[in-house]
Amino acid sequence: METIPTLLGAAWLLPLVSFTLILLFGPRMGKAGKAASYVAIGAIGGGFVLSLIALFQWRGIDEPYLAGEWYTLAQFDSLKLTIGYYVDTLTVVMFCMVTLIATCIHFYAVGYMHEELHDVTDHEVTLADGSHLTRPGRFHRFFQYLSLFCFSMLGIVISGNIAMTFVFWELVGICSYFLIGFYIERKSASTAANKAFIVNRVGDMGMIIGLMVLFTTLGTFNFGDVDGEPGIFSLVRPEVAHHDDHAGRDAAASPFATVALAPKADAGDQSDHHGDHTAHATRPLVVPQGMFDAAVRDRVAAGEEATAENLEAWQSSKLGYGLLVIAGLGIFCGCVGKSAQFPLHVWLPDAMEGPTPVSALVHSATMVAAGVFLVGRFYPVFTPEVLLAIAVIGCFTLFMAATIAITATDIKRVLAYSTLSQLGYMMFALGVGGWVAGMLHLITHAFFKSLLFMCSGSVIHAVHSNEMTDMGGLLKKMPITAYTMLVGCLAIIGAGIPLVIGLSGYYSKDAILAQAMLFAEQDENGLFRLMFFVAAGGAAITAFYMFRLWFMTFLGEPRDAHRYEHAHESPKVMTYPLLVLSFFAIFVATPLTSLDMTTAPLTAALDEARPADDHQARTAEDAAGATWLSIPYEHDSHTARIHTQAGLIAFGTAMGGLLLACCIYWWRLVNPREVADMFRPIYRFLLGKWWFDELYDRLFVQPTFFFSRIIAGIDKNLIDWLIDNLAAGTRWFCVGFDTWIDRLFVDGLVNWTARKIYAIGLAFRAVQTGNLRQYIVLIVVGTVALFILATFGFAG
Amino acid sequence: MENAALLWLSVLVFLPAAGALFLMLPIVPRSNPEAIKRIALGVTLATLVVSILLAIPGMQESSFSFDPEAVNKMQSVFNVGWIPTFNIEYFMGFDGISFPLVLLTTFISVLAMAASWPINKYVRAYCVLFLLLETGMIGVFLALDFFLFYVFWEVMLLPMYFLIGVWGGPRKEYAAIKFFLYTLLGSVLMLIAILMLYFKSDLKVLAESSAIDNGQLVAAGLVTDAAQADAWRAEMKASEGARHTFNILALQLMGQHTELFSRPVFGEGGYSLQWWAFVLLFIGFAIKVPSVPVHTWLPDAHVEAPTPISMILAGVLLKMGGYGIIRICYPICPEAAFDLAWWVCGIGALSMVYGAFAALAQKDFKRLVAYSSVSHMGYVILGIGVASVMYGGATSYWSMGMNGAMFQMIAHGISSAGMFFLVGVVYDRVHHRELDKFGGLFGKMPVYSGLAIVIFFAGLGLPGLCGFIGEVLVVLSVWPFSKTLAIISAAVVILTAAYILWTLQRVYLGPEYKGPHGEALTPITAREWSIAVPLVIFAILFGVYPRAVLDYMEPSVSQTVEDLTQWGKANNFARDDSAEGEAAEVSLERRAEPAAKPAAPAANREARVNRPPDHNLVRQ
Repeated sequence: METIPTLLGAAWLLPLVSFTLILLFGPRMGKAGKAASYVAIGAIGGGFVLSLIALFQWRGIDEPYLAGEWYTLAQFDSLKLTIGYYVDTLTVVMFCMVTLIATCIHFYAVGYMHEELHDVTDHEVTLADGSHLTRPGRFHRFFQYLSLFCFSMLGIVISGNIAMTFVFWELVGICSYFLIGFYIERKSASTAANKAFIVNRVGDMGMIIGLMVLFTTLGTFNFGDVDGEPGIFSLVRPEVAHHDDHAGRDAAASPFATVALAPKADAGDQSDHHGDHTAHATRPLVVPQGMFDAAVRDRVAAGEEATAENLEAWQSSKLGYGLLVIAGLGIFCGCVGKSAQFPLHVWLPDAMEGPTPVSALVHSATMVAAGVFLVGRFYPVFTPEVLLAIAVIGCFTLFMAATIAITATDIKRVLAYSTLSQLGYMMFALGVGGWVAGMLHLITHAFFKSLLFMCSGSVIHAVHSNEMTDMGGLLKKMPITAYTMLVGCLAIIGAGIPLVIGLSGYYSKDAILAQAMLFAEQDENGLFRLMFFVAAGGAAITAFYMFRLWFMTFLGEPRDAHRYEHAHESPKVMTYPLLVLSFFAIFVATPLTSLDMTTAPLTAALDEARPADDHQARTAEDAAGATWLSIPYEHDSHTARIHTQAGLIAFGTAMGGLLLACCIYWWRLVNPREVADMFRPIYRFLLGKWWFDELYDRLFVQPTFFFSRIIAGIDKNLIDWLIDNLAAGTRWFCVGFDTWIDRLFVDGLVNWTARKIYAIGLAFRAVQTGNLRQYIVLIVVGTVALFILATFGFAG
Repeated sequence: MENAALLWLSVLVFLPAAGALFLMLPIVPRSNPEAIKRIALGVTLATLVVSILLAIPGMQESSFSFDPEAVNKMQSVFNVGWIPTFNIEYFMGFDGISFPLVLLTTFISVLAMAASWPINKYVRAYCVLFLLLETGMIGVFLALDFFLFYVFWEVMLLPMYFLIGVWGGPRKEYAAIKFFLYTLLGSVLMLIAILMLYFKSDLKVLAESSAIDNGQLVAAGLVTDAAQADAWRAEMKASEGARHTFNILALQLMGQHTELFSRPVFGEGGYSLQWWAFVLLFIGFAIKVPSVPVHTWLPDAHVEAPTPISMILAGVLLKMGGYGIIRICYPICPEAAFDLAWWVCGIGALSMVYGAFAALAQKDFKRLVAYSSVSHMGYVILGIGVASVMYGGATSYWSMGMNGAMFQMIAHGISSAGMFFLVGVVYDRVHHRELDKFGGLFGKMPVYSGLAIVIFFAGLGLPGLCGFIGEVLVVLSVWPFSKTLAIISAAVVILTAAYILWTLQRVYLGPEYKGPHGEALTPITAREWSIAVPLVIFAILFGVYPRAVLDYMEPSVSQTVEDLTQWGKANNFARDDSAEGEAAEVSLERRAEPAAKPAAPAANREARVNRPPDHNLVRQ
């Protein structure tokens, strides 16, 4: 049982070893660092094998999760920052998915990046003298970054606490920075890398706030219970066991009382109950004691008295619930950044500046899915309000991104917007209560989207252009790529025979729409209904732009004869991974024994991993106590009625989109130019990507620079001006002092005295005539005067 | 014990000065600058070795001890009379707060000396001043006598003035005089505060206080062992008039356990003596940190100073401000610290934001790094400041904040010294620092660029590198203090990322170098490599194994927090009757001020009303 964390830990650390080896010895690994790829493949392949072993072992374990700590970074009393693990079915499944896709992409990259084995002339970089840049190849460095990325990504998956998640969150961010900016000489690449990192940091700021709230109210970062200490999940959702109803209710309903009487009393309790975990135990969402205390402190600080009545009233009004909402929104902020949801979606399309294997691995299959993964992982903590926010953001993103994908002509950008849109679907699913649906779509999407990206890479590799306007008719030249990409397209639009069988995307998208439908029905609210229709309509747009892409690339006449001439099928090292991934894109979610999708091994496994909750709708009340929001429980969407309806709607919309794409781009019934001209304002709006980049530039970037110049100006023109003037003033004062006081007054006095004495001397000089007779007269007069003085003066 | 400590610490402090004296002897060849630099480097290395010997537990009699009995107290304390007339003592020792900074000093000094090779002007004078500077720096961290502390503080100031003013860049005179006047202003304010505290201090009160046990007297270096404590008390009681002292530890005891510094200075109802002392000391230290708005000497000093002096300046000198606040301001003036918490935190947060914005606007590479220092040192002030409002509340968050601040000082010492060195490397080659005239260095100097990226990411606060730990500990501890400041400090991570990444893009990335002297951009030399690599190694080590630092500092920092918490509980939480009774027991002579008094005497005492109401929580 304890071997599973060790296995996964080893799978996690292997890429780090590979990274270190390549970092230190990369250039010396074989010819031009070619062996670096073997090291990296060995590491990630080994990780895949270990994950598989863990998967099989996991089947024999009936604990809901394993949690523990490996390493303590810092500790202050009971507060700890640790590196630990939290392993549940989701962890194991994600490990297998990430390592499998990463292995495929590593192989693929050996072929794709072969140019880097020798000197590269970068035609996109023009030097000052007009020539193109020629630089040494960086083959080993690419694999070095890939290994670091795999290590960081697996770190997020295995993470046992939210702080560790944040650590690896940042590390995948920096790997993404390096990989987007892999062509460091290209200004566009380094700008895109900066943009990705900085936009992500905006999300991280929210995440830090979430971390602050959680840590300073709960005192722990751990997800699960470690060594009997309750983790976040148990604090937010204490188990209400039926055989000990009284104690359970106390812990749930009256957190304050338990704080005051026995702070840790229920902690030991909890771990005891843990063993006899049953499906009937409920875990309702409560305001944890720490949050209640923190909120009480704020109230008291604001001048209210913490009397017994007040405390009771606060308790029943769920004081501290707001903190739970802030924590949830904060964590979700981080996810918005990483998963490129509106309003932080702007970085992902630009991230396509990176080499295509990177786009496949980092910017579609794994890293951007980390945001969705974290929402899934953190699901127990989200209140219904937060879930609604997640649903709204996801829904808006899925629609917006899909519309932009219609007009994009860069093949990778179409896929990037499609990724945004699909991530929106996942968020939407999670927000409306479809945990399994969202996670299932995360897995299936990872397979078919990495497949699509790698196919696009194969095409780019062949024609040396990203623009679909340079392609066309490539089906004959590169059949394997074309057909595997067709599989990917069919998977992403959710193709299948309704209610019977389909590709992987069919199952996940059906589940999402079924849950959305349930949500829309349960809450009779215009907005919620609208969200369902948007999601259903999004399926049509998805089908349209995906097949637009496929038709433009592989069918019709070649648009650029020269490029077409030189196009060729990619080498086996690139096409075999495509075949492997197409297999998974088709079958990963297929039920083996029956037609019921919930019996598929993957779905069943995910269902097992569903966060423990109270098995009923999550509701939020307004001030008057009326329920205004209810997030339905997922199992309720498994009814035949909803499934049939949702399945047919999904199928209908997808086919509609597909048909439209066929009309325009295959059968050429309508000229796309004319359509674009007809809707010129909308077309321009979509082509301009809804003007988000321009808007953000005006709203945030320029004001920031403006403000920073003001600050620098304050330093130079105000503070230093003051200081310099103070100094000048002091000097002026000293000079003045010197002039006025010293020179005029002190010196003046001295000089005056001197002059007076001189004058007196002069006056006396008049007496000194040299005339003997005059002297004698003076002596006589003087003697007489002295005599008189002596006689009269002293006699008295 | 005492003799060993006397010997070792004196050697540690005065070895560089002795080296400086030696360099002034006529036997040192005047015509051989290379030899002089070698000797100076040897001296700094020897000092580093001494400090390492003291760092390894059990290596020496007076080495740092992790014994749970000793680890949170002053260690290797010795106390020898110096100027008995004024009770000035040659009194030194170290604990977990000062010792890591001493190690940082000796370490950075070696690297900075090694980075001094390109200096060819008046080499002998340069080395002499450099070594004197090192003595001053180590002395400041080790001194426990306030007067001695001040002497070392000034010893450090003068060499720095000349090092900037003689070996600096084009505007060196301006920068040097600006540095000197700013710092001198701080010193003068500090001197006033020192004298205020000195003339109010009275060991007699300490001796008579029942709140002070003999162990505390020993820990404060007033008596050598507990057996003599009673005799000392009797002697003190018998003496006539007040017994003033410069002993920092004794002043801390007086600040926390007696009423000596709590009386108003200018008539009844005014601010207390410790309020004034705190303000004066804080301004003095804030200039050194430097905090906005008294920071403008730093960019000029950095831009004009030669590379090694910038390394010392950013790596060590700035830390003295933070050290002074933790060691002196807070423990001696706890009440003022509590009252002014909002100001301290506000200044910290302001520095973080202001420095980051200003860095974003800079066009000079070194100026940018200097402003990043202002921003990063803001975390230190904030981390120290948030603590003071949590008296009696969640002590561990406070402890985390202060530890984070201390860690940030060490981390910043590594990363900023590294950044300045790396700027110096390119400056030595192309003789300009215009950010817009770089680019493409990655292609020309790959090893250098790789090292630079690690160091800059350490400054950015990337997990796995040293900058992250300090920042995250500080930022996490802010929320209970103020949600607004917490959000502001969280927002700074965006700006930091922006200015660091933009700098990396402009300097290291891109197709080609855009400035003059492109042909001079040769790969880094072995000497440069061996300076940068240790910094990179420590940046990584402290990032993945922060306990290498925290194990040293955490017990002492937490002890400081604990002491202040006790003080807070004894005084500021005496709200209801029972707690008041407790407070009265703890210190009889203190006024047990009813803290919830609605009309606080001054506006900035509002903070007191806002304190966490834990007693009420437990009361039910």
